[in-house]
Amino acid sequence: MAVDTRAASPRRRRFLLEERPAPSVALSAAIAVASVVAALFFGAVLLLVTGEDPLAAYEALIDESLGSPVAVGLTLVQTTPLILTGLAAAVAYRMRLWTIGAEGQLIAGAIVAAGVALKLGETSSVVVISLSFLGGMVGGILWALIPALARAYARTDEVISTLMLNFIALSLVDYLIVDTVSLWRDHTNLSQPSGALLPESVLLPSLFEDANVGILLAVLCAVAMAVFLRKTVWGRDLAVAGDSPKAARYAGIDARRTIVGVMLLSGALAGLAGAVQVTNVTFALDKAALSPGLGIGYAGIVVAALARLDPLAVVPVAFLVAALLNAGPGLDLVGVAPAVVVVLQGLILLMVVGGQFFLSYRIRRPLAGDEGR
Amino acid sequence: MNDGAFIEFLVIAIGAGTPLVWASVGEILTERSGILNLGVEGMMLVGAVTAYWVAVTTGTLMLGVLAGALAGAALAGIHGVLSIGLRANQIVSGIALVILGSGLSTYLGSGGDDPLSSRALDAPFGQLLPDALADLPLVGPVFFGHDLLVYGSWAFTAAAALYLSRTRAGLEARAVGEDPAAADAAGITVNRVRYVHTLLGGAAAGVAGSYLTLALFGSWQDNLSAGTGWIAIAIVIFSAWRPLRALLAAYLFGALTSFGFNLQLLDVPLPLSVLAALPYVITLAALIVLSNTRASRRLSAPAALARPYWRESR
Repeated sequence: MAVDTRAASPRRRRFLLEERPAPSVALSAAIAVASVVAALFFGAVLLLVTGEDPLAAYEALIDESLGSPVAVGLTLVQTTPLILTGLAAAVAYRMRLWTIGAEGQLIAGAIVAAGVALKLGETSSVVVISLSFLGGMVGGILWALIPALARAYARTDEVISTLMLNFIALSLVDYLIVDTVSLWRDHTNLSQPSGALLPESVLLPSLFEDANVGILLAVLCAVAMAVFLRKTVWGRDLAVAGDSPKAARYAGIDARRTIVGVMLLSGALAGLAGAVQVTNVTFALDKAALSPGLGIGYAGIVVAALARLDPLAVVPVAFLVAALLNAGPGLDLVGVAPAVVVVLQGLILLMVVGGQFFLSYRIRRPLAGDEGR
Repeated sequence: MNDGAFIEFLVIAIGAGTPLVWASVGEILTERSGILNLGVEGMMLVGAVTAYWVAVTTGTLMLGVLAGALAGAALAGIHGVLSIGLRANQIVSGIALVILGSGLSTYLGSGGDDPLSSRALDAPFGQLLPDALADLPLVGPVFFGHDLLVYGSWAFTAAAALYLSRTRAGLEARAVGEDPAAADAAGITVNRVRYVHTLLGGAAAGVAGSYLTLALFGSWQDNLSAGTGWIAIAIVIFSAWRPLRALLAAYLFGALTSFGFNLQLLDVPLPLSVLAALPYVITLAALIVLSNTRASRRLSAPAALARPYWRESR
């Protein structure tokens, strides 16, 4: 990593650091772009070292995700759940609640949404869609409930508790599809365990190519979140509590209630992502297809961090990360392992985390004649 | 369960627990110096794939372990630069490490014309001591029937425990983790100590990964750690940051993991999915129960854990 660690050594005062008040929007955007560029650079190094052609790979990546109307449509399809899991992470991280449970909450949401759709069957679309999406949110909330209560009342580390529940959610899908003949299982072909096809009444109206109006719903959620955080009393309480738990206590904000509320809200958003995925992308409960690649829940963390936890910025960033996710399978065509897309996401997140330093601090040299590096 | 089955159960528990021992004791060293590295899962995966690649290519298992340790340390080095040098958020940096490690290991393990997952190892790590010892009744299989990395994990745990409690360097590391400003005033180079312990933890996680591919499974499969790294972090909390307790906790979890398979062997009518979920359910339950007790993590966690230290800011 090309980072000068001498800046970290307290013994050599080659640099003076001062805290930057509030970074400008332009600087934030510049650092976000620089993070992505740096990640692509390190990704190219990896490709070169392993004997691949980075330019060809990146060309295929852009081609697969943005090269045609069909590709853009598919990228928009991926964007929808990513906006939702990005918001789920953003709202929790603003409160310094480091949940990584969106993956499990997404699956729980998909289970409930699929269950509702299967129970209702072919009836009025409006009813099936709204009830199954509501069900998705309920599923996500239920999956977030245990870590939320444990964090609020027993101070249980939410990082690990939410992660454990991700694994448990995957087992729950296996239980419903493989180990039992449940409502979710395809009853017509029991020799090969797979999910039952959902009724067509649950499909959202189409918008552009393969994309449906779900993307509008997700954007609406982002706008609603931005308004909620900036304009409502509870939203501003969250900002206070996130910045300083102590200040929140003096302001009379109930920390426990805030923790539970935020984690459940985060769960509801992730659950909604699961509902959209299962009803309009996989059409049946299928754990591998529900959350492809790295997992939409984990990718939401990358989205939230790159958007600097700003709900409105989550939308364009989700589109970008969706393009990346969407291109993964296409890389196979040029002989590059699709996992490089996951590597890039990890690199982007690392760069964003490191880039935060340059947003928080200004570096100055105390001596003009310092030869530096 | 008769005696034979019980002994076998213990042996399986030690096998399944060994990667947890390496990873959690390593993480204890890192956290005791005040750095929280949640990237254990990623470091294990990269360690596992690197170790397997080197072992398959060179035919020497120990070279594989060495490479695995170096790979784990390299990834930990990234975390070190970010969290020590750039004062980054250690939680998000750790999560990034998991994502990077999982992608990198899949990429390295599945790519190419002759992917690693289809290449076989000559022979995985086997029993180290002669049969005469290993075949002793009762104590033989439990104490003498293991491979080198199991004994290595015992030595590592004992060394870590002695290091932290009995040596000057260990005391300095703890001081850095508890009160970096005081340690700094006492002449300890806080950041150097933190870098060293972060790298040590990464190397141990790399060995844990090597154990998965070179001993436990004897092959590379995509994502084969399946959450072990996260359970190792939970064990650090359960053990109240003490290596010997972590060893016991790791075997307890190893036992519980293999418990599922034993139940299956005993025809207990539980579906496979329920058994697969068992270790995670138990970790979750233990985490909640233990965090609610008096010996809460906040009482025993290093006071400066996950807090960057910067002299100028004081």
